[in-house]
Amino acid sequence: MRWLASIGRRIRGNPTALAGTIVMGVLVVLIVVGPWLIPYSPTRMNYSNLLKPPSLAHPFGTDSFGRDVFVRVLYGARVSLFCSLTGILLAAVIGTLMGLLAGYFGRVYEATLMRLADLLFAFPSFVLALFLMFVFGFGVLNVVLAIGLVYLPGFARLARNMTLLVKEEAYVQAAKVSGQTPFRIMTREILPNIAPPLIVRLSLGFAFGVVIEAGLSFLGLGVQPPTPSLGLIMSDAKEYFQRAPWVLTLTGLGISVILLGLNLLGDGLRDMMDPRLRRREEA
Amino acid sequence: MLQFLRYLGQRVGGAIATVFAGAIAVFLIMKAAPGDPAMFVLGDFATQQSIAAFRARHSLDQPVLTQLWLWLETVLAGNLGESVSLYAGRDIAQLIGQRMPSTAFLGIYALLLALVSSLVLGTVAALQRGRTADAAVTLFAVVGISMPDFWLGYVLVLAFALTLGWLPAYGFTPPGESLTGALVTGLLPALAIAAPLAAVFSRILRVSLLETVERDYVTAARSMGYNEAFIFINYVLRNALIPFVTIVGLQVRYLLGGVVVIERIFGVPGIGSLMVDAAFARDYAVVQACALTFLVIVLTVNLIVDLVCVLLDPRRSH
Amino acid sequence: MGTRIDGLEGGRRAFLQAIGAGVLANAALVPLAWAAETKTLRAAITGYTVIGTLDPAVVKSISESMTLWAIFNALVKFDEKMTIVPDLAESWAVDGNAWTFKLKKGVKFHDGSEMTADDVKFSLERLRDPKTESPYKSKLDAVASIDIVDPYTVKITTKEPFAPLLTFLTNTRTGTQIVPRKAVEAMGAKEFGQKPVGTGPFKFVEYIPGQKIVLEAHKEYFVQSEPKVDRAEIALVAQETSAVNAILAGNMDLSSSAPFADVPALKKNAKIKVSSMVGLNYRYMELNNKQAPFDDVHFRRAVSMAFDRQSLVEVVLFGEGAPANGLIPPGIPAAYDTTPRKTNTFDPDAAKAELKKSKHPASMPVTVVTFGSSWWKRWAEVFVDQVNNTLGTQLKVEVTDDNGARTRIYANNIQAAVWGYLGFIDPDEYMYEICHTKGSRNNRGYSNPELDKLLEGARREMDVAKRGALYKKAEAIVAEDVPVISCFSNNAHNLWAPRVSGFVPLPYSAFGSQFGGVSLSS
Repeated sequence: MRWLASIGRRIRGNPTALAGTIVMGVLVVLIVVGPWLIPYSPTRMNYSNLLKPPSLAHPFGTDSFGRDVFVRVLYGARVSLFCSLTGILLAAVIGTLMGLLAGYFGRVYEATLMRLADLLFAFPSFVLALFLMFVFGFGVLNVVLAIGLVYLPGFARLARNMTLLVKEEAYVQAAKVSGQTPFRIMTREILPNIAPPLIVRLSLGFAFGVVIEAGLSFLGLGVQPPTPSLGLIMSDAKEYFQRAPWVLTLTGLGISVILLGLNLLGDGLRDMMDPRLRRREEA
Repeated sequence: MLQFLRYLGQRVGGAIATVFAGAIAVFLIMKAAPGDPAMFVLGDFATQQSIAAFRARHSLDQPVLTQLWLWLETVLAGNLGESVSLYAGRDIAQLIGQRMPSTAFLGIYALLLALVSSLVLGTVAALQRGRTADAAVTLFAVVGISMPDFWLGYVLVLAFALTLGWLPAYGFTPPGESLTGALVTGLLPALAIAAPLAAVFSRILRVSLLETVERDYVTAARSMGYNEAFIFINYVLRNALIPFVTIVGLQVRYLLGGVVVIERIFGVPGIGSLMVDAAFARDYAVVQACALTFLVIVLTVNLIVDLVCVLLDPRRSH
Repeated sequence: MGTRIDGLEGGRRAFLQAIGAGVLANAALVPLAWAAETKTLRAAITGYTVIGTLDPAVVKSISESMTLWAIFNALVKFDEKMTIVPDLAESWAVDGNAWTFKLKKGVKFHDGSEMTADDVKFSLERLRDPKTESPYKSKLDAVASIDIVDPYTVKITTKEPFAPLLTFLTNTRTGTQIVPRKAVEAMGAKEFGQKPVGTGPFKFVEYIPGQKIVLEAHKEYFVQSEPKVDRAEIALVAQETSAVNAILAGNMDLSSSAPFADVPALKKNAKIKVSSMVGLNYRYMELNNKQAPFDDVHFRRAVSMAFDRQSLVEVVLFGEGAPANGLIPPGIPAAYDTTPRKTNTFDPDAAKAELKKSKHPASMPVTVVTFGSSWWKRWAEVFVDQVNNTLGTQLKVEVTDDNGARTRIYANNIQAAVWGYLGFIDPDEYMYEICHTKGSRNNRGYSNPELDKLLEGARREMDVAKRGALYKKAEAIVAEDVPVISCFSNNAHNLWAPRVSGFVPLPYSAFGSQFGGVSLSS
């Protein structure tokens, strides 16, 4: 419990992290609890209530199937956040593993794994995701995979570079001399020491994962209906943008708020984890 | 010097290998995707016979590896081949050549907008550290990075084209036709790409400037009695720009990703929209050529950035 | 008229619109300096960004067809009442298997040469030559020979009486436009496609890839008073909305379509003219008749009666369309039956009763393939929602891209898929091609010998009314068997600026061929 209190103290001392925590806290409550409080279904169509502008009953209006846009945005946020989080965790786990192996063993491991990472890294981010969607078809799992592959090379590189630095440290050398297995050294000695920058990258990438999901679904390549995702709602709204601009703009605003929360949180986390920056804030 | 050349050679060789590996990967990926260029060309009039004839004529009935080899042969002969479905019969190199100026223009336009605004914002924020201006820039940065570019594109259209009527809602005049036209029609798409970039850049520049201010040589310069403006421009800004430029270079991957989406939204006839069109038409060779172009751009920029770093800090080439 | 496809193109368009792609050609943005003296018609073809070729024999996309209709003529054409009238032919006569066409004299190609019977024979035989690889080859499958009687008379002999032939010789999507033998032979087919030469009201000037086609008036056009403008520029505008905005801003004169959702608002806007009529198109649910559950006629009937076509039109097309009562749309009155057919009418009780008779349970999982992200996708969503609500079935939507959907439908690798054709003008193109055992659009494994016989008979019947009655009978059989589920026909739209006069809207978008009579006031 002490570490929790300590995190709490640190967040209070960091306005960015505080703001991010508040925004995300409110959002998470809304996303988790909101759908139960709102008397509308995100998928049930109501043909007598098409394209109604925002009102008290429907704060984001209704879409072309007469569904409440607000409740769809809440459900959509669940899907989008799930895609992004899973995708980036996938990238973090595999990428870190690749980077660790490459950094620790060097030689063939490094040559193969880092070439692979370089290759992935050479593709413009969105282009890579786009290709993958063509092959694997459209759907939640494939969006996750696409996000994962976009982020993989970044994690691999960072993990490799950090491993190279840490590898030379005295405690790692000591562990080697004392005859510990490479697996034990990597998990016990190196990983904890290279974790902070990886966690920071993870938290910042979380936001961009949401953007990739939204972009893919927006192009009609993402999540399948009736699952609402933020990009899918906007994609549908495009067809009647002029007639009912609220659906696209308000959903986009929803994405922006989520990204704002995630970015603030990510920034705050970085400030807290990077002692050099923290020192300066305190100075 | 010799060592530098060896490093350069290794890097260029590596880049070329990556380009080829990437192109081959794209080839295999596209081949694994369901769909058929014959369907695009023959459309409703496709019959078993006409499909078979089309596939035979374009070697699509050969094993995938044979097709890959045929394509590699074409490329090694210094050629990109012919479009099969989207622009059936046209020379792909020529297509890329026609589309390239628009993409390059848009990318550079966006980059310049992002750089200029971030230089101003980042500098102001660093100089006014902790005051309102700094907070405002930080706020802009966080908000800017929180707006997906495609959505920003729509909001800009809604505001500046549909509501105010200042700028055209859609369409793009290639720079080859009219530079003024390109600047005007390219403004909204460039802004949509530039805003999130500017946000990232100004944050980085601010941090970089703040770090440099604390360096010994700055303190030394100050003790020598130079005025603050001179110190800032000659010592702080110049040194802070080095890491800044490195990071800007690395952003090219995201910049190009943004260009692909924005080209589609604003109808810019560039490489990005060509690639998406070609992917939908299953025009494999065109998709390959576009991917190849992107790979070359990304790797060239990366290479230049790395070389600059090495020149500045020769230890890196080891 | 030639079949204007929609699966592919609808999909591409759907995609482009969904992402809000928009090209507004340069022409629309930067007025030309000499616009004061030269009258330029600025037209927009929406939903497309590519013109591959303008060779009538091999064009495939509607954007290409719409353009080449301004450059070429065929022997005959449709007027605004949808009756066939002379074009390059002055008159024609049919006697059993023999069709004789008398050509107009003194018709000039854009290169100055005269159009004669030799060019007609060349153009049509070229289409039939397998080496041309024309997608329209099958349109002339019934033809046995094409003979030159004299320089201004052509005789086409069919293997047996073939009523649809005349439709297939109109200036529509048939590939039967007349091209100059000399020019084609001199240039070769490939180059001809890039520098087309025709007899039409407009000459080809240049194509700026991804942007626009520039045309200029053909001074020696055989219709004396046409064209009424000096130039025509056809911009490729990916998104319908951008064309609307351009017309409202005074940067565009004419558009080939309108966004369904915005039509009501546009009709009230004085700055733009809107035409809206039920189009010659047919939107239906393609079913795999060989695989569960749609191998069972009871299941097919149950689903067909389980949704309300009118509400589909209201929700999916924002009211811009008409529910289908069969395959043939109301635009072909001779063959259209106004009496509602049982299986094309929403009837929850009858639907449930049919489902009880089916060998497949309601719980059987069914995937409905759709593509893009515009109304094609929303159509599948509403359809699935309604059918599931009525029958308690387990239908779900699968979205892919148009190329993937087409590949799967042609291979019958689906259970059900949204599909459709646009611009069929002859009833044969709907009934025979979609439902005959050997129909070129019947990949679903449906076969009914009685229906086949009826449709073959209709091909031989030259009398329009009698032929129409045969198709009504055929429709009744189809309504019993439900090989496909008819859904709706959407409206065809055109938009134009108030300064445009003389534009006559047609239920199929002939576009380029409508430019000749258009004039502009300043």
